[in-house]
Amino acid sequence: MNSRDLVLHAAAIKRHAPASAIAALAGVPLDQAQAQLDALVATGRAMETKGAYALTPLAGVALQARYAGHFGHLREDEGFRGAYEGFERINNTLKQIITDWQTLTVGGQKVANDHSDKAHDDAVIDRLGALHEQAEPILAKLASGLPRLRYYGDKLLAALEAAEDGDTEWVSDIRRDSYHTVWFELHEEVLRIMGRERQE
Amino acid sequence: MARWTVMLDGNGLPDRALVGGKAWSIARMAALGLDVPPAFVIGTSACNAYLEASGIPPGLEDEIAAGLAWLEAQTGRTFGNGDKRLLLSIRSGAAISMPGMMDTVLNLGIDEAGEAALAAETGLATFAADTQRRFRELYSAIVLKAPDDPSPAIPVDVREQLFGAVRAVFESWNTRRARRYREHNGIAHDLGTAVTVQAMVFGNLDDTSGTGVLFSRNPLNGDPAPYGEYLPRAQGEDVVSGKFTPLGLDAMRDHVPHAHAALLAASAMLERENGDVQDIEFTVQSGKLFLLQSRVAKRAPEAAVRIAVDMVDEGMIDAATALSRVSAEQVATLLLPRLAKGATDGAEIVARGEGACPGVATGILVADADDAERRAAEGESVVLVRATTSPDDVHGMIAAKAIVTEQGGSTSHAAVVSRSLGRPCVVGVGSGAVARAGQQVTIDGAAGLVYAGALETVVPLESEHPHLARLTGWAREQGERAGQ
Repeated sequence: MNSRDLVLHAAAIKRHAPASAIAALAGVPLDQAQAQLDALVATGRAMETKGAYALTPLAGVALQARYAGHFGHLREDEGFRGAYEGFERINNTLKQIITDWQTLTVGGQKVANDHSDKAHDDAVIDRLGALHEQAEPILAKLASGLPRLRYYGDKLLAALEAAEDGDTEWVSDIRRDSYHTVWFELHEEVLRIMGRERQE
Repeated sequence: MARWTVMLDGNGLPDRALVGGKAWSIARMAALGLDVPPAFVIGTSACNAYLEASGIPPGLEDEIAAGLAWLEAQTGRTFGNGDKRLLLSIRSGAAISMPGMMDTVLNLGIDEAGEAALAAETGLATFAADTQRRFRELYSAIVLKAPDDPSPAIPVDVREQLFGAVRAVFESWNTRRARRYREHNGIAHDLGTAVTVQAMVFGNLDDTSGTGVLFSRNPLNGDPAPYGEYLPRAQGEDVVSGKFTPLGLDAMRDHVPHAHAALLAASAMLERENGDVQDIEFTVQSGKLFLLQSRVAKRAPEAAVRIAVDMVDEGMIDAATALSRVSAEQVATLLLPRLAKGATDGAEIVARGEGACPGVATGILVADADDAERRAAEGESVVLVRATTSPDDVHGMIAAKAIVTEQGGSTSHAAVVSRSLGRPCVVGVGSGAVARAGQQVTIDGAAGLVYAGALETVVPLESEHPHLARLTGWAREQGERAGQ
């Protein structure tokens, strides 16, 4: 992918994000990404509101149409496909862990986790750590097919360690690059690479 | 005098630093005269010796053999041979609970002949086969760390399996997560972890066996009567699996009256001893009650407030303790807007799904995240409705008062994001909801219902909540005292 499509692709995954976040995900230097974004806005392919960017619907569709060309070799690659399938399998475990982070089962009923029970929270973060250990070989396989994807492994570990160190907003806060935010963006990334649709 | 191991026989309380938190709780229950499955513990000093020398320290093997002989005598079962097999659970446990430590291995001691013996004893061939399968899965995943290996290298000999599990517990002391946690929290690296070796009991042995959980008070509404579930002729996994509908405590009384009476007595004693509501896991084996675990119960906000106030009235705790047991978030949850009494009478339900985030909100259904954001910015109350949600929709979810999706369950993206935002959310209502865009609706995120129109909501007042009002009064008194 050229840097223009990389910026488009990153803006599609990180919607309504500032240029710095788009540049980091795209793996493109900030000044270059900013120049691309300015050009995309000038030609009506992207919109800017308060320093955050989003693609126009047509630009999004046009980008999707170019994915087969960009990612065709990965879709055919058995090793990459196997890693993608491994990701989908542990994705179910991740979703359950995040749900257990947000909800408690009390006497058989689900109630919101108000995070007053530190032992429960610690146990969930411990499970997240165990899941991360299972994810590491999968992330390594994905990144060996497409080195740019190392970004996600680094961001996931950073979020996990921040949560382990006690700042629990790093588990699932959607307004920062929490574990769930990055995982979810990675899911979106691999769905786009593989040309699949989200199930739920 | 044993150097490395301690029998948890109820004679006195061992040193928590030596036996770890889990074994200490077992020892404490035994010391209170309560029936727990027989257990012994390999102390933290053995872990340190193992890690120092990279091997099982001299004498430990003999002490484990002596521990096994004691468990055999206590249970009337035999390990690795015979018609009545002794099966074990193996748990890690440091004085301070820590991430990254080995998970529990269950049913250790079952092999081909053991499966046949268990099938003959219980008359349940499927259960015996499941027990062996579950053991092999756990051992592969936890001890061998190869969860997906189709032919895991599990030792044939049950004693070898036991030593494999003990070594895995010791080694888990030095995982990345455990080391990191200790460094971050200033915990010494040489505390070590203990290994608890406990006899398994069987809730499915015969018609007077079963398993269940008991709360010493109702954890949902705080009612002082014990609240529990009982599943006759079943193992703990069956309760969790949700495949069977558990019975109430009354049914347990009819089924195993002695165990029921012993359970209620144990519940009262443990609550009194610990000064807080207990969540007790138990198994009844051939009519005899065994307590597996007792811990402080999690509770819903309503229950947290009522229990705190009741316990002050009963003289169990003081007002300061009561205040420390109710969080600001719990109070905030009790004061969230809710549907007014009778508001739903005759109201039309336009969609029904799974409640993913509780709460009540009213707004216009909007099917596009950009529209939702724009209309919300103009001051309109909107409810975002989507087939499913993706990162493309998050800005719309932030802008919306509530979220509805056609597809997905309680772990879906929409559910996770809505809970993170505290937005009422109903998921999986089925197709047709998006087509209702433009309609005004009221969402009940707890019940999973979408009503037509704007139903009347009320905001509960702290002063009108009988228990909350008293808690607030105590908080004021404490504040005044501190201010003097």
